[in-house]
Amino acid sequence: MLLYTIKRLLALIPTLLAASVLVFLFIHLIPGDPAAILLGDTATPEDVAALTREMGLDEPIWKQYALWLGNVLQGDLGTSVFFREPVLSVIGDGAETSILLATMTMFWIVLFGIPIGILSATKHGTWVDQMTSGGAMLFASVPTFWLGLYLILIFSVGLGWFPSSGFPSISDDGGLTNLRYLILPSLTLAAPNAALIIRLVRASMLDVSREDHVRTARAKGLHPAKVAIKHVFRNALIAVAAAFGFTFAALVSEAVVTETVFSLPGIGRLVVQSILRRDYPVIQGVILVIVVLYMIINLLVDLAYARLDPRVSLK
Amino acid sequence: MTIRIWSKSAVAGLALLALGGTAWADGMMRYATVGEPPSLDQHVVTSDLATTIAHHMFEGLYTFNAANAPVGLLASGETISDDGKTITISLREGVTFHNGQGMTSADVVASLNRWGEHGSRGGLLFDNVANVEATGDYEVTITLNEPFGPWKNLMAFINGGPAIYPASVMEAAGKEPIAPENYIGTGPYKFNEWQPNRHVELVRFDDYASPDGAADGYAGARQAEFDTLRFVPVPDVGTRVSGLKAGDYDYAESIPGDLFADLDADPNVTTILNGGPIFGLVFMNSKDGPLQENFALRRAIQTAIDKTPALQVAIGPEGLWRANGSFLPDGNVWYTDSGAENFSMGNAEKARSMAEEAGYDGDPIKFMVSTNYPFHYDTAIVYTKQLAQAGFNIDLQVYDWATLIEKRAQPDQWDMFFTHHGFVPDPILISVMNDNYPGWWTTEEKAGLKAKFTASSDPAERQAIWSEIQALIYEQVPTMKTGDVYTYNIASPDLNGLGEATLIWPHFWNVSK
Repeated sequence: MLLYTIKRLLALIPTLLAASVLVFLFIHLIPGDPAAILLGDTATPEDVAALTREMGLDEPIWKQYALWLGNVLQGDLGTSVFFREPVLSVIGDGAETSILLATMTMFWIVLFGIPIGILSATKHGTWVDQMTSGGAMLFASVPTFWLGLYLILIFSVGLGWFPSSGFPSISDDGGLTNLRYLILPSLTLAAPNAALIIRLVRASMLDVSREDHVRTARAKGLHPAKVAIKHVFRNALIAVAAAFGFTFAALVSEAVVTETVFSLPGIGRLVVQSILRRDYPVIQGVILVIVVLYMIINLLVDLAYARLDPRVSLK
Repeated sequence: MTIRIWSKSAVAGLALLALGGTAWADGMMRYATVGEPPSLDQHVVTSDLATTIAHHMFEGLYTFNAANAPVGLLASGETISDDGKTITISLREGVTFHNGQGMTSADVVASLNRWGEHGSRGGLLFDNVANVEATGDYEVTITLNEPFGPWKNLMAFINGGPAIYPASVMEAAGKEPIAPENYIGTGPYKFNEWQPNRHVELVRFDDYASPDGAADGYAGARQAEFDTLRFVPVPDVGTRVSGLKAGDYDYAESIPGDLFADLDADPNVTTILNGGPIFGLVFMNSKDGPLQENFALRRAIQTAIDKTPALQVAIGPEGLWRANGSFLPDGNVWYTDSGAENFSMGNAEKARSMAEEAGYDGDPIKFMVSTNYPFHYDTAIVYTKQLAQAGFNIDLQVYDWATLIEKRAQPDQWDMFFTHHGFVPDPILISVMNDNYPGWWTTEEKAGLKAKFTASSDPAERQAIWSEIQALIYEQVPTMKTGDVYTYNIASPDLNGLGEATLIWPHFWNVSK
């Protein structure tokens, strides 16, 4: 397994190189000039050209790429055109929010998605199943911006229980209590994702429950709960594990709408705003981080398969 | 069992987090902004958001009083030679920078020179400046090539204007905005931190040397009542409004017109109109394409458009817009109705025959607009329909703002584009007066009037010349004004000292809660 892990990590390198070339080309192909955006409406073409030169953006693309790659290999992702801060520091700020948000969201998904999915499968065909399946479909269909705004209206404006927006770092005043800023956004993000997990757990468990070993377990007279958890759910978990992995990665990188509604300084919002500002170093840095994240999660999912299913061998 | 433990832990955790809130000190004013400024360097950046934050930190030699007249801020007075070419400015003594260093003429000279060379609006004045020198520790002398009437207005306009930084900061500064660690000014608040996407935070500057006199617009005494000003980017307008109502913010900017009636009637919210209206502008291409030098065709386009329906659609409540053809609003010293009878005729038939006479043969007219600003797009949609009714073949091209900015710099890419303009205290600052601004309006008639306008220092004469320039704009149509838009912000009723309306940008000295 160690050898397999090392091989997979080495395979990251060509993928990252390919991704970085593609991102570099795409972002430079679309029109828009960071210098013009920075200087605003009154800037003359001469002003824009002067700043473009100062920022080194007048060099040929291949030269800019080579310079950037050389710096990346030394651990320097460059400096944000917009924030004039090291890209690593800008991404670090966003990553804190995104990872904590994704973790808290996953907590809700596990808390609600798995038990309700199991309940739905074990009560298959009853009114309980219909209620949970219907509820899951409802939450899967609700737009997150709508749900987010209603949660703000009810729990922030109405009841005053949680802050409406923003997220001070947990290293700032308030420490871990700052996590309360993430409760409403994580519930907003969890709703559609938990609904999908409910559907997935239910479907996987129903598939597994028709297997021979489950019938044997029941025939042996095992308690239905034990059959459901140990014999059905554990085997159903293989399909769910992959969904968990990619849900987590998507929560880190794609929670743009929720981050916008709750004004969270996360990775999703950072990448969209950086594209609008044509902040090339940040876009490239964030995309690299997202690619690494997806590949590592992919690897972890594969490793989890081997743990969950002894028939799977990693070579 | 496991599920029960999870549920209990979750409920307990939620309760702890809900109760464990940080009590916001009354010493902090929290301002919800629409986004983040590109930089706070006032010399090179003209973003209104940047100035809203930065004018608490940086000060210029002059500022505006409530009547939009320039008055001394770091300057204590000035003398102008009889020929109008030598301006000697005396500085207030005892003014300290945020780094503890005293402000002297060396700092002012360094700042003015950097602004003149690299500043967004510096060239307007410095194209005519022969020399800036320190003629005493607290005296600066500016020598002009020719008399230049708007010099004081340009000095007082801090947006893209001559903020005074320490000479040590200016030595290494070029066109690129200065870095946050060099945000050192003389204002009542000083820079504390900028956490990307989280907030920009200023704190009270205890050694602030306030100007004397009663507060009057941006002039007069300035007292920092808050310990901290925190500017938080909240891009979603629903969240800005909800956040203010929930008490998470004290002030929130750029609220859409369709919420105005409800918010104005809400006792828990104070609405504050911005006194200086912004206005949309549709620029015409004077360098390339069918509109190049075809003033008759441009007038046909102008004739086709009725501005009122577009303002109703794009802005909403009538209190928030005026179909005003004067480039500066009613009540302002620069208000004039010269040429404004052509502002909003909305006569499709007349426009059609004018276009025929102008030789228009139905070629597509490329009209660029961005969706980044909803009122641009909404207005452009109405105009496109009106122009189509008058027989124009409009090719509406919709881009994000960054793309539009790049394309408008290329004359072969467009015929008309939509932008907007902030309120300015002197018409020389309106972009159409800038020969290099996309559109490139550089006719002889304009050049002659502009030269007279800048050379004169007599207010009445300058107003008369501006009337002629505005009439020329309606005749040659380098741009079409779309009407005045009074944006508004909302605040907590707990804030004291805000006043009825903001002058140009909100300010929070002399404001408390």
